[in-house]
Amino acid sequence: MTGPVSGGCQCGALRYQATGLGNAHLCHCRMCQKAAGNLFAALVGADTQVWTRGTPSRFASSAHVERGFCANCGTPVFYCDTTGPHYALMAGTLDHPDEIGFEYQSGTESRLAVSLGIAALRERPPTETFEPARARAVAASTNQHPDHETLVWSHKEARHG
Amino acid sequence: MADVHSGGCQCGAIRFRAEGPIRHASICNCRMCQKALGNLIAPFVQFEAPVVWTRGEPAYFQSSPQVRRGFCRDCGTPLYYRWGQGAYAVAIGALDHPDAVVPSVEYAHDNRHPVFADYNAMVPEALGSTDEERDMLAILKSNQHPDRDTETWPNGS
Repeated sequence: MTGPVSGGCQCGALRYQATGLGNAHLCHCRMCQKAAGNLFAALVGADTQVWTRGTPSRFASSAHVERGFCANCGTPVFYCDTTGPHYALMAGTLDHPDEIGFEYQSGTESRLAVSLGIAALRERPPTETFEPARARAVAASTNQHPDHETLVWSHKEARHG
Repeated sequence: MADVHSGGCQCGAIRFRAEGPIRHASICNCRMCQKALGNLIAPFVQFEAPVVWTRGEPAYFQSSPQVRRGFCRDCGTPLYYRWGQGAYAVAIGALDHPDAVVPSVEYAHDNRHPVFADYNAMVPEALGSTDEERDMLAILKSNQHPDRDTETWPNGS
């Protein structure tokens, strides 16, 4: 896929367009796990990327890597090797992550056992049928930016405490 | 050790602890969780005991009137999901020992990313398996907080 494709953070304070997507992979290394608060980071390389709304905050997780995130809602948005060419978007920030085909997994020395068993995990029915009132309440009042570009967007401000 | 679970964000500005057995651990595929964590899945765990914030206090984004999503304002690590005034569900990857928690339930299977259909067919590759990675690892100086509590940070040991 060459794009352009769009994406952004949950609150919509950050939006981007990217082209030349490739090198899609899951990284299980402990740095990515903790940065993402997750079992792994799902990463997609991009040849070009333009921030169409907002500017990400950055944390230097080491002398070689910066990790971008939204200061307002916390969504992790990119991984950047500051001493080399490796730049990758956090795949979940794409408006249509289902279009990404992942090629390999890295950092498997710290891959969690549960990651191997995801396919066998017990499924619960969709929230829409399991807890319909809850699903409706969230859908009717979501503060998440839609999965497409918007001309104007007033994001809900983050709070502390 | 068995029932003490500590964790925090990548930079260490936020640390938390829960003493008590695991109540519930899950993985969610829903689009709200995907976008909040910038990922394909969101693994969260709730404990029987309250989560205590032992260093710093997370910021949060109200993703809907019902749900708060906590994060570190300094490094961005997603830290929790909280419905109303209910128990904090903390991000499993933020735990110091995420392998101590095994999710038993999967939510929003209908939105599961296609990669998981043939997940185990993907080539596994340890870090350091290419020259580029070996060069990087040789000189890497991590700013990540260690996977244990520290007396002081960033100057702690």
